[in-house]
Amino acid sequence: MTIRAVDFILGGPQGGGLETSSQVLTWAFARAGYGVISDREYFSNIRGRHSYIHAETSAFELPRALRYPIHLLAAMDAETVFTHFGDLAQGSYLVYNVGEEKSNFAAIPSMEVELRERLRSMFPGIGVDGTLGSLVKYMGSRGVTPVGLDYASILSNAQREAGIVASQVSRYVSAILIGAVAALTGLGEDYVSYGLARRFQRKELYNHNLYIARSVMSQVKSKFGSPLALEKSSIGHGELLVASGNDAVAMAKIVGGLRYQSYYPITPAADESFTLEEYESIHGDGFDSEVVVLQTEDELAAVNSAIGAALSGARSATATSGPGFDLMVEGLGWAGMNEVPVVVTYYQRGGPSTGQPTRGEQSDLLSSVFASHGEYPRIVIASGDHEEAFYDAVDALNYAERYQMPVIHLVDKFLANTIASMPVPDPSKTKIDRGKLTGNVTGNYKRFDMSSPISPRAFLGQAVMWYTGDEHDEVGHITEDSEARIRIYEKRMRKLEIADSEIPEERRATYYGPEDADFLLLGWGFVKGAALSAMSELSAQGLRGAYLHVRVFSPYPSKLVAGILSRFKPDRIIAVEHNYEAQAARLARMNTGVEVERSILKFSGRPIYTDELVRAVKSVLSGSRREVLSYGA
Amino acid sequence: MARRPSPTDYRSDLWNDWCPGCGNFGIVAAMYQALAEMNADPRMTVVVSGIGCSGKTPHFVKVSGVHTLHGRAIPFATGIKLANPKLNVIVNGGDGDLLGIGAGHFVALGRRNVDLVVIMHDNQVYGLTKGQASPTLPREMQTKALPKPNMQDPVNPVALAISSGYTFVARGYSSKVKHLKDLIKAAIEHRGAAFIDVLQPCVTYNDIFTYDYYDKRVYQLEEAGWNPDVKDESDAVGKASEAYSKAFEWGDRIPIGVFYRNTHVPSFEDRIAARLPNYLKVPPAEETVDRGGIPVMDGAAFRKAFSEYIVDVAKG
Ligand SMILES: Cc1ncc(C[n+]2csc(CCOP(=O)(O)OP(=O)(O)O)c2C)c(N)n1
Ligand code: SF4
Repeated sequence: MTIRAVDFILGGPQGGGLETSSQVLTWAFARAGYGVISDREYFSNIRGRHSYIHAETSAFELPRALRYPIHLLAAMDAETVFTHFGDLAQGSYLVYNVGEEKSNFAAIPSMEVELRERLRSMFPGIGVDGTLGSLVKYMGSRGVTPVGLDYASILSNAQREAGIVASQVSRYVSAILIGAVAALTGLGEDYVSYGLARRFQRKELYNHNLYIARSVMSQVKSKFGSPLALEKSSIGHGELLVASGNDAVAMAKIVGGLRYQSYYPITPAADESFTLEEYESIHGDGFDSEVVVLQTEDELAAVNSAIGAALSGARSATATSGPGFDLMVEGLGWAGMNEVPVVVTYYQRGGPSTGQPTRGEQSDLLSSVFASHGEYPRIVIASGDHEEAFYDAVDALNYAERYQMPVIHLVDKFLANTIASMPVPDPSKTKIDRGKLTGNVTGNYKRFDMSSPISPRAFLGQAVMWYTGDEHDEVGHITEDSEARIRIYEKRMRKLEIADSEIPEERRATYYGPEDADFLLLGWGFVKGAALSAMSELSAQGLRGAYLHVRVFSPYPSKLVAGILSRFKPDRIIAVEHNYEAQAARLARMNTGVEVERSILKFSGRPIYTDELVRAVKSVLSGSRREVLSYGA
Repeated sequence: MARRPSPTDYRSDLWNDWCPGCGNFGIVAAMYQALAEMNADPRMTVVVSGIGCSGKTPHFVKVSGVHTLHGRAIPFATGIKLANPKLNVIVNGGDGDLLGIGAGHFVALGRRNVDLVVIMHDNQVYGLTKGQASPTLPREMQTKALPKPNMQDPVNPVALAISSGYTFVARGYSSKVKHLKDLIKAAIEHRGAAFIDVLQPCVTYNDIFTYDYYDKRVYQLEEAGWNPDVKDESDAVGKASEAYSKAFEWGDRIPIGVFYRNTHVPSFEDRIAARLPNYLKVPPAEETVDRGGIPVMDGAAFRKAFSEYIVDVAKG
């Protein structure tokens, strides 16, 4: 028997090689034509704390959300089993190290105190004595097949046979997981070898890993077969882009003509700038792409130097997360006042303060839409998946220049750190819009020419011009004249009305589902994947819902959203968000007058899973007003 | 311009609202003269300031001007310059602006050695907010507006600049306009981060460090036989420490002139050019990013550049 999609978890200590296992498997599955998505959950820690990768690979679609329970758990260490045993479905498989059977949960120092307490109160009731061995036995009685492997002997064999240096051998546990997952899911050896070859340029490392993965594959296959074998893929893409959200945005910025990126290190934004730096100099047939990537002394310098670069004429951006964005807010106001095209890519994580630095959230929407004192126009775009993030990043650069205002591009940690398969983007389907440029000006130049809301822009070097954060006249000099103030204030603000009239509402919000749906989910950002997956599951169960995905929050697509919301009874509209306050629902009310009374919210730092969303939608449809989701370790 | 420009060509026609007698007038006068003598192209010259009385400087100079946020002139200037290294960028900031709220940026500029000029209007007070103590006011001093004597120790701007890595470090006095003009010219000509600490009497709030105070004490380093130049790389630390000691000379005799100049450190622009081959020829601000609205990077180029992310699905 074959199955259509497998959800699995790879777990182990942070820094123990999990990412390698995940990368290799992701490439291998993609090579075999399967869709993949994999979310990485980790503590704010460099080495040692429990970390895991939750992934789905599918034979029939490019998956966009994850679900529980899972079909397969592959554990590097005992803590992983203690943390995730409850996630395993009936008929699932547990790969673990028999050498650790005597490990007792109470003696694992890296475990969160709360989890240890939960286990302490639970284990006696189910007859588990606290050791891994007894937990595995219990799991076996609950319909989970334990796949016990002796990690130490696999490694020492490999050390002898493949000539691995003894001190290095512990670094190969990742290959054990790769072999076990490949065997159980029926992934061919060619694909594993392909994944390993991509990961390891050094022949020696490739050989060692392949040796171990192969020996585990044959060991597991001979004993268990391939019970989770995927059916032949019906997705039909000849090639796939496999990338994290950070990387998708970096690639998009290069396509979009970015020429200056500044940043101050912060999780989960910094990876984007690293990727940009790696590709800072690309030269092809008749084109050059050179990006200055500057690591600044702080976020104040990051945003303000990006603004400076934009004044000189470079397409310019910075990337940050909550605490860094807070520092950028003053600069953002200056950019608004001075009509500067600058993009801030804002990777939301758990707040407030440093909050949960490595976990996901969507609690910075209101802060983005209202950031900085005073009033000034800005564009706020939020991406729902990797493909959107790619095209939104290009549009962000375009809107910034077309409307001469700052653009905040919201991404969340879930998207940033999730690796997904997507169709390879086609740059020729994107466009570059540099807005109203004058080029070199002879004679007097008015940077803020009042004859139209969007004044022709010259770069520094092309004319003499002035800028100031104080209120200014057409030339850019300070003025406190009351009538001049009104004129220039209105000119500035009117630009947002123009953006509102030009950017199609369909670009800003998308309705998914039947026109005559019985209920509506209202969401944004990474909620999109779970919402769409939940919708199709619910409709299979006869519940006909729709999903309204808001992608631009300023200028808000008021007419479109109001029209859609008015088609549903108030108790059939449900906000789905990763925050406490249902922030997007508040903005909907502010912009449409429609109050969204029901909500499904998750602010545990973990993504919304399809299955829990399905359950929560049913509870809301049967009367609950507010569901708070909590699944996930 | 066929004729040689005169200093007045660089004066904007705005009414200058500094207090009559303010030391800032000497600084802009020196700037007008320096720009005129260098025949500076007004379009290619950008004056960037922070916030304060000194922050208004760009509005009084007829070259491009960017009046930014309190403490942030250096980051703005850095972005402007790195995106187009052909521009001649001059920062003007107060002592509060550059060494209080903006101190981190001040240090970072030295480490990078970006080819910028920083002119600090050093009046020991916060002028525009009415006379509070600035980071250069010595402890126990009580200038006019202070209700109590200052409790904090001063930072030494010249010493800080030297230890931060500025490759041109000087002090001027706003009443010695010709001397200051020469310093500004030398700073602009220097390839790297240049800093000029300008003694700038604030006639409204600083009744201690007045014209009279400085006139009696100021002397010129070059007349005293001081050689600021680093001979070769091995000489850099030695020269820096001599200059550092000199920076602490204050009291009966206050030195002005160039303390330290090192032409052997690569500028930040050169460091970038070592990684981006086109950088100095076609700077980021001038690079073509599209052809008729289509990105210059087409599908084939995308595939080639990002092949690491692309998986060819196996046939069969
Ligand atoms: C973030 C911020 N904090 C405070 C202020 C208020 N402020 C305006 S001018 C100034 C002091 C300027 O002093 P200094 O840099 O020494 O320049 P001077 O006025 O003496 O030339 C301050 C604190 C501000 N504009 N922005
Ligand atoms: S307050 Fe001082 S620094 Fe400001 S303009 Fe007046 S004299 Fe000059």
